[in-house]
Amino acid sequence: MKKTRNIYTALVFIFLYMPIFVLILYSFNSSNSTSTFEGFSLKWYRELFSDSATLDALKNTLILAILSALISTVIGTMAAYGINKMQNKYVKGSVMSVTKIPMMNPEIVTGISMMLLFVFVGVMLGGKSSLGFGTVLIAHVTFNLPYVILSVMPKFKQMDKSLPEAALDLGCTPIQSFFKVELPQILPGIISGLIMAFTLSLDDFVISYFTIGSGFETLPIRIYSMTKKRVTPDMYALSTLIFVSILILLLVSNLVSDKNKEKMSKQAKKITKIVLSSVFAVIAVITLIVFIASAGKETVTVNVYNWGEYISDGSEDTYNTNLEFEKYYEEKLKAQGKDVDVRVNYTTYASNEDLYAKLKSGAGGYDIIIPSDYMIERLKADGLIQQLDLSKIPNFDNIEEQFRNPFYDKDPNEKYTVMYTYGVIGIIYNKDKLAPADLEKIENGEAGWELLWDEKYKGQILQFNNARDAFGTAMYALGIDVNNATDEDWQNAYNKLLMQKPLVQSYVMDEIYNKMESGEATLAAYYAGDCLSMIANNESLGFFYPKNENGEYVTNIFADAMCIPKDAQNVEHAYEYINFMLSPEAARANAEYIYYASPNSVVINNEDYIDYLGEDYDLIYDPDFNNLITANGEEITYIEYMFNTYAYRDLSDESRAKLNSLWEGLKVDSASFGSGIYIICAVILVLLIGFIVYKYIERRRHRRLYWNNAAQPKVVVSRNDFNSTAMYDAVKAELEATKENEKK
Amino acid sequence: MNEKKIIELKNVAKSYDGEIILDHINLDVHEKEFMTLLGPSGCGKTTTLRIIAGFVTPDTGDVVFEGTKINDVPAYKRHVNTVFQKYALFPHLNVYENIAFALRLNKVSEEEIYNRVEEMLAMVNLRGFEKKDVNLLSGGQQQRVAIARALINKPKVLLLDEPLGALDLKLRKDMQNELKNIQRKTGITFIYVTHDQEEALSMSDTVVVMADGKIQQIGSPTDIYNEPENAFVADFIGESNIIDGIMLDDYKAKFSGQIFDCLDKGFNKNEAVDVVIRPEDVDVVSPEKGMLQGVVDSVTFKGVHYEIIVTINNFKWMIQSTDYVAPNQKIGLFIEPDAIHIMKKSEYSNMFGDYSSFSDELEALSDVEALEEEE
Repeated sequence: MKKTRNIYTALVFIFLYMPIFVLILYSFNSSNSTSTFEGFSLKWYRELFSDSATLDALKNTLILAILSALISTVIGTMAAYGINKMQNKYVKGSVMSVTKIPMMNPEIVTGISMMLLFVFVGVMLGGKSSLGFGTVLIAHVTFNLPYVILSVMPKFKQMDKSLPEAALDLGCTPIQSFFKVELPQILPGIISGLIMAFTLSLDDFVISYFTIGSGFETLPIRIYSMTKKRVTPDMYALSTLIFVSILILLLVSNLVSDKNKEKMSKQAKKITKIVLSSVFAVIAVITLIVFIASAGKETVTVNVYNWGEYISDGSEDTYNTNLEFEKYYEEKLKAQGKDVDVRVNYTTYASNEDLYAKLKSGAGGYDIIIPSDYMIERLKADGLIQQLDLSKIPNFDNIEEQFRNPFYDKDPNEKYTVMYTYGVIGIIYNKDKLAPADLEKIENGEAGWELLWDEKYKGQILQFNNARDAFGTAMYALGIDVNNATDEDWQNAYNKLLMQKPLVQSYVMDEIYNKMESGEATLAAYYAGDCLSMIANNESLGFFYPKNENGEYVTNIFADAMCIPKDAQNVEHAYEYINFMLSPEAARANAEYIYYASPNSVVINNEDYIDYLGEDYDLIYDPDFNNLITANGEEITYIEYMFNTYAYRDLSDESRAKLNSLWEGLKVDSASFGSGIYIICAVILVLLIGFIVYKYIERRRHRRLYWNNAAQPKVVVSRNDFNSTAMYDAVKAELEATKENEKK
Repeated sequence: MNEKKIIELKNVAKSYDGEIILDHINLDVHEKEFMTLLGPSGCGKTTTLRIIAGFVTPDTGDVVFEGTKINDVPAYKRHVNTVFQKYALFPHLNVYENIAFALRLNKVSEEEIYNRVEEMLAMVNLRGFEKKDVNLLSGGQQQRVAIARALINKPKVLLLDEPLGALDLKLRKDMQNELKNIQRKTGITFIYVTHDQEEALSMSDTVVVMADGKIQQIGSPTDIYNEPENAFVADFIGESNIIDGIMLDDYKAKFSGQIFDCLDKGFNKNEAVDVVIRPEDVDVVSPEKGMLQGVVDSVTFKGVHYEIIVTINNFKWMIQSTDYVAPNQKIGLFIEPDAIHIMKKSEYSNMFGDYSSFSDELEALSDVEALEEEE
């Protein structure tokens, strides 16, 4: 019995801490591979502390957590004090229930409702963008409050009610009584409430996500938005550091809360005092820094909203785009006689849809956004982005002719966007595992999409875990026009994917890195830039663009472009930023960092850049893409043709619904347990109900037995009855016996 | 006793949620007096104390302190201090700091604080306990700290709310003596709340018997015991046989079918009255010599005496006697005129004084309940 108990405990601990152990291990990995541990190194920690954006986010998160924890602790303690003083039981009860509701409420509901409220109030007050640090702070204080109240309340209840009276009696005013007598009693509750609020606020994502504004990014949001590329291992290092700090915090809080149970040694008291005072010192310093930073010179702020990991940010000794811009622009303004600080507020999003939701809600305030092609169409149609004045972007001339007027921004006289990068979807494969015949085909440039439907590679194929791209592969394979698909076309594409399903190992996005690099999977379609990153980590991987039987490239091409939202706060600065991004240095640094194709002629033709890419250059910029072809009587480059033909357009609502429902169908089916999971759930539910009913019946039977048996001795004994019972007789007999003894 | 009034309650009433707790009471407390508020739980004695302390505001009536009305003076400005039922020592402070608490508030110099705390500790015999943690002290020691803490400010009046309730019997007796000594030494007026009649009788200068939010009787312990004003007081203080009787004339009372000589007068002729006879004042004699005759129901040995329940005319008397009588034995009772106390009829008549349903066990049980209710 003891043994099983120990094994059970061990299992629980393994399940709880295994993931964290792996995380800590990989934070010391010398490579960025997630599959193999290649040696101990502190590289990612070094990396972390040189990544200013992440450190910024960390700083923001800490400031937010500390401030919201402090404010909610003060308010929560006052609330608990008030609730505790309430005389009416019913009022007290209902106030407590109302207090608990925000804890039960799904975070998403809280988040959305808060965003609505803030935007609504902001609009009423006439502000352009109402979301910002203040709103996240309010939101965090709101969701922290119940936890603080619930941890302080019991301490009030435990406290001897006459303590405050004793204090008053000895001459304390009510306020003195609170601080001198009541506060020391409830302090452990306050501290544990403070720590709980701090940790809750530290890792909150959902509520922050909805209430955060343009100028502010917290760590969870930053990590979440790193999905365009993948989560970098310096995040493992950061997570490790956070885990360790929380662990320490927890130990300290246990020390403090033990205070009331056990007598604390003098030393422990001293430690607590030191810890508490240092926490307050840190808070004071941070407040001071924030204050000083906010004072000082006038600051020009440019709010940039981009994909995560989508700019050269100074990590691994690269070019720090935002920092360079700040320097450059400060000097430029100085030359104009304006001595100001320039600050780039760089925040990130995870998907086009997130960006759209944010802009649509009116919670904007961004000066630069970098959406993808189809989303630009939608933003333009909704009037959420503004027309650009090209005279303010002289570097626009650096953009190659063929990328100046893409399909989503066709009119040369009415420009809304400046292309940032573009990319093509290709197929990545493992040379060691592919059949020689197929390798030869690829070599000869004859391979196409059908390779992903090849029975030979059953269980080794990866497919996109995103509806549009997955359906895209099937449509390109079938020769269907991705932008004008009929219902029948959609159905055919669906059938094609259904056919592929038995061959597919799994539907993946970021996990593809791991699976391809480790050789677990053999074939997959993915974005060119990412494919080349994988090849750099595993030399047996190869890459090609699929062709149709006529020898033409048929694959998706996509572009991300810089735009200025309608409600931008600093349009002038936004132009300056865009222009800077097109400058030779910044553009090249970003192209090298992101590894997607650049539309910028000064980059493409730069010898150093060509050297830097080496073999990859011809893969990214396939020479065939520049071939001229004639389409609709116009002579255009092949890449222009691809943009016009194969790039995804914004779907109509109807098509989007169709796509989503088909995709759901495919995915639900794809989960191998399928309907099995429902059966399992049903069985568990039935067993549970059966058990409860059995217990109920059993208890009733017991009760009946108990009552039946207990009925006999259970007689109500009254005083009069007692006089005539056997007991009384016994006493009488005893007394008579003693009398007789006396006589003798 | 000093005749100067220090506290006067004038027509004070208080009710919670429509339930009357205090029903227009009037009470004078004199300087240097040891006054006890005595009564069963729920009688309003603690509320009276809290009104004087300032924790409860009366609905109507005035609280007067040394001739000044102090209804609106908050608790922390009144020259009274309280010893709480469960001591209410501050758990985060040690013995010294607990006692010094009031002085620290008044910004007294450290030297004076030291001297006065030491003086207090000497008074309550706790020298050497300065640095002890109050949570680790025994109940008696905590009690002493609470008294020292309340007295350090030299209050004019000390309020004590059942301060000995949580102590065991032996300790309680010692503390009773000690409290009485402290009161004599300091000359501070004590207002003491208890439901223990023995405690009240042995310590007090004046006993105030309360029931149902009203004052039943105010008097010295001997007055209260010997001359109870009504059946409630007679029953609550000590043991009493309370019998329906008729006052035939001055000094002539008739009860249990017999006419007795007594020392009371001033009633109307043939007025119905309550007759109180203490169990220890009745002598057991042979049936022929007795003024009343009855059959012994039960006998319980109590150490000093036997407790005998006797049925006379369907009324069960309790008699305390040092001589043993056997159950079912026929005995006679002899009652001296000065053992008879005549009371006017009151709302409490016929509620007490018959021992037909008497049991030590039941009494003990109801005491426990009373204690729990108070808490």
